[in-house]
Amino acid sequence: MSRAITIDNSKGTVHFGELVYLYLSPNRSVVLERSMDYAGIIVDGKNHHFARMVIQRIRGNFKPEIYLKPILILNGTAHREPFLRTLIDGTLFSFEQITLVHDHLGSIRQRIKDLNLIHSLSVEAQIITKLLAFMYTREVKELEPISYVYSNTNYTFPFVACHYPFDDEHTIFEVMKIAQEEGLFNSEFFDRTYSCSNCHSSHLNYREVCPKCQSPNAISEDLIHHFPCAYVGPISDFTNQLDDQLDCPKCSRRLRHIGVDYDKPSILHTCQKCTNTFQDFNVYAKCISCLYENPVELLIATDILRYTLTKKGEYAAINGFSSTPKDIEQIIGTVKYDTFKTMVKYEIERLKQTDGSSNIVVIKIVNAGDFYSKVSHDAQKVLLKEIVSEIRSSIRSSDMITFHSSSTILIAMNEIPKRISERITAEILQLLRTLIENNFKDFTIQLESNVSQLNYQLSADLQMDMVINAEVNE
Amino acid sequence: MNSIDEFINYIQAMGWGKFIRIFWFFVFFELFRYLFVDVIMLLSHRMKLRLTRTKRAEALERFRFEAPLISIIIPGKNEGKHLYKLIRSLNEQTYKKIEIIVVDDGSDDDTPTIGRDLEKNGLIDLFLRNEIRGGKASAANLALRFTKGKYIIHLDADCSYDRDAIVEIILPFYLDENVGGVGGNVMIKNYKESLATTLQAIEYFDTISIGRVVSSHLGIYRIISGAFGAFRADVLEKIQGWDIGPGLDGDISVKIRKIGFGIKFAQNAVCLTNGPNTFRKLAKQRIRWDKSLIRFRLRKHKNVFYPNQGFSLANFISFTENITYNLILNVKWYIYFFQMIVFYSSQLEYIILINFFLYTFTNYFKFIFFSLFRPKSGSLVYYLPYIPLMVIYFGYYLRIIRTTAYLKEILFKASYNDPWNPPKTSRHAKELGL
Repeated sequence: MSRAITIDNSKGTVHFGELVYLYLSPNRSVVLERSMDYAGIIVDGKNHHFARMVIQRIRGNFKPEIYLKPILILNGTAHREPFLRTLIDGTLFSFEQITLVHDHLGSIRQRIKDLNLIHSLSVEAQIITKLLAFMYTREVKELEPISYVYSNTNYTFPFVACHYPFDDEHTIFEVMKIAQEEGLFNSEFFDRTYSCSNCHSSHLNYREVCPKCQSPNAISEDLIHHFPCAYVGPISDFTNQLDDQLDCPKCSRRLRHIGVDYDKPSILHTCQKCTNTFQDFNVYAKCISCLYENPVELLIATDILRYTLTKKGEYAAINGFSSTPKDIEQIIGTVKYDTFKTMVKYEIERLKQTDGSSNIVVIKIVNAGDFYSKVSHDAQKVLLKEIVSEIRSSIRSSDMITFHSSSTILIAMNEIPKRISERITAEILQLLRTLIENNFKDFTIQLESNVSQLNYQLSADLQMDMVINAEVNE
Repeated sequence: MNSIDEFINYIQAMGWGKFIRIFWFFVFFELFRYLFVDVIMLLSHRMKLRLTRTKRAEALERFRFEAPLISIIIPGKNEGKHLYKLIRSLNEQTYKKIEIIVVDDGSDDDTPTIGRDLEKNGLIDLFLRNEIRGGKASAANLALRFTKGKYIIHLDADCSYDRDAIVEIILPFYLDENVGGVGGNVMIKNYKESLATTLQAIEYFDTISIGRVVSSHLGIYRIISGAFGAFRADVLEKIQGWDIGPGLDGDISVKIRKIGFGIKFAQNAVCLTNGPNTFRKLAKQRIRWDKSLIRFRLRKHKNVFYPNQGFSLANFISFTENITYNLILNVKWYIYFFQMIVFYSSQLEYIILINFFLYTFTNYFKFIFFSLFRPKSGSLVYYLPYIPLMVIYFGYYLRIIRTTAYLKEILFKASYNDPWNPPKTSRHAKELGL
């Protein structure tokens, strides 16, 4: 049974059954917040610039209700742009064709409902979360870089690139690298690109230049060796004013036959700017963006990779990706996880020589996703600092704290009985709950903890795994 | 024992008349020209140096005040391995206003890479490469085409130079404005490597360090060594650079003399070079050098002897001395040797022995006495045991080589087939009698 399509020109909406789509065209003001209420967005494709601007703003937005919204391009040729093609969900040549993509869009909306979206700790983590969510909802498992003339890096990942201004577009490769290092993607080599060492732009003009003054303005001449008299010089030494013949300036003999009485052993270049004579040009890459002259050996080489989502990536797509290791390594009062693990190894070795008791405490924020979603990116870091500060106030200065992830905190309490560690842990949990309650009136943080005494008969790695994955007490 | 007694009796019974009759070659040519004339000229030269000390100081002052740009050109094939050492030696020079141009004449080793690296790092001013080998003269001419200096110094890549070598080789231009070219004092660097190099070192002390001081003082100096020679740029322009070799260094010296400029030897402009380390290689080198006497002195520049073609007495004497002592006396020696065999066959062993002692004694005297007149180079004591061998080296080894070279060149024009020069250019030189 076909459903009627009605268009409300005054509101700029398209009605298809109970679904209402927002229609955006250059002659209407674009208020993205409005799009949240609609089933999808139809963008006029006649004006490429407009289509690109609108779609970039939608996909670059940090609200899932906006950036995951299905987008269709109507008419025009904007959909042919490789950059836009990966960001849209379909092309229409009339509103009536909505019926053709209806099921597809329905599937996207359905998959959006699967997502357990969290507020990630850093911008990079948020972009990765967004990317994973977008890929999940569009059932995309592979991410291939596209070559794009309007990209500052020549190759781009359109969805990620939507978050960065033109000048910072090179950051997309760092974001993808983080995602890969986190195990969310596998990668394989696709191509290599070179960018300006000054501004990272890949819009470069490779030129052969004078090695002395870097001017590309040079003329090249054959060198001539006249055999009978051993004179060697550029061909201009041999030309005369009268005819096209070549005469030797040393012995005045006329050059007859190449290979018999003369030859051309090499080529000589003369710079028209500084008159320098040379045989080998230097190759410089002039940046079209900032005009910096890059010696080619100093260009920044970047491997462009093709990515495939891993199982971990698929899981993170649904459950969110809260932080990058960099985010939690930078919190004052903590040590890096690897350092923490090394110190635990040393402590185990020490325990072999003594009868002491040392413990590892694990504290987990069960509803970390909700928790981080409550606050902005900058506020998250402040909050983590506060948490570390509260913990530090309850433990000795020799005890160490580390983040295994943004939801799992580990504390090493050495040379202390287990029961005292448990008492201190309980105090810490109470302090943290109070801290959160004071800051978020309507939010209850769910914390779990476990105290494990170090066993010198087991390896540090094993005990760390056991502690992190152990059932914890609420 | 009887033999020694007989030998002593033979000498005692000889008397001056017979001595001169039998050893005329030694007395009239060797002793006169290479000992007597040399000693007189060295003393005269030393006296002149003392008398012209002020003039010399003024010339040095003028040179330093003017501080002209000096272009150093280094043409060569497969010389890359020597370039770093050479450039380091040039960078150590007390005179700094120099430009260095290296020409790679179709090398098939890593010379292009080394040359480009030196150029890129600013250690040399220009590196030019001919993909196709054209010969030493063409490489030198290519470098010359791009020089900007007032003076041009031609170097061989396998040499190194005393710190003040550039100042010393340029100074004669400021002492006499008619000087068109100056030759440096070439010594053997690897003199301890083999017997061949030790004997060459002793030979160079005599024929270059001393011999060229004498010939320069007499005004008959005739060869500016390719390993270290300086030229006025305007003079090189007039003679239009180097012509096809081998022997192009001697050729260019003659060309300069023929247009009326003088050439001088700078004894204190010291250059160290590696001599061939085997007698076989040395023979090859000397045959090439000796052939050029016939090719250039007797053929290409024979008009020096013509009174109607810009005759110059100095050039005439220079050529005559050169041909007399190298060609004519070489033939004369064989006549002497034949004469001894025919007329004094019964006394031949004594004559050879006396000749040996005469030459050895003279060589020791010259080596020790002349050391007062040449720049210091290592310990004299090292060379002393080798001096007796110089009789064989000079008297037989080099003489046979010289004879071979002359015959090859006179009979077959062999220098035009020398692989040292590409056949494509030698063919033209032969056709044109160059």
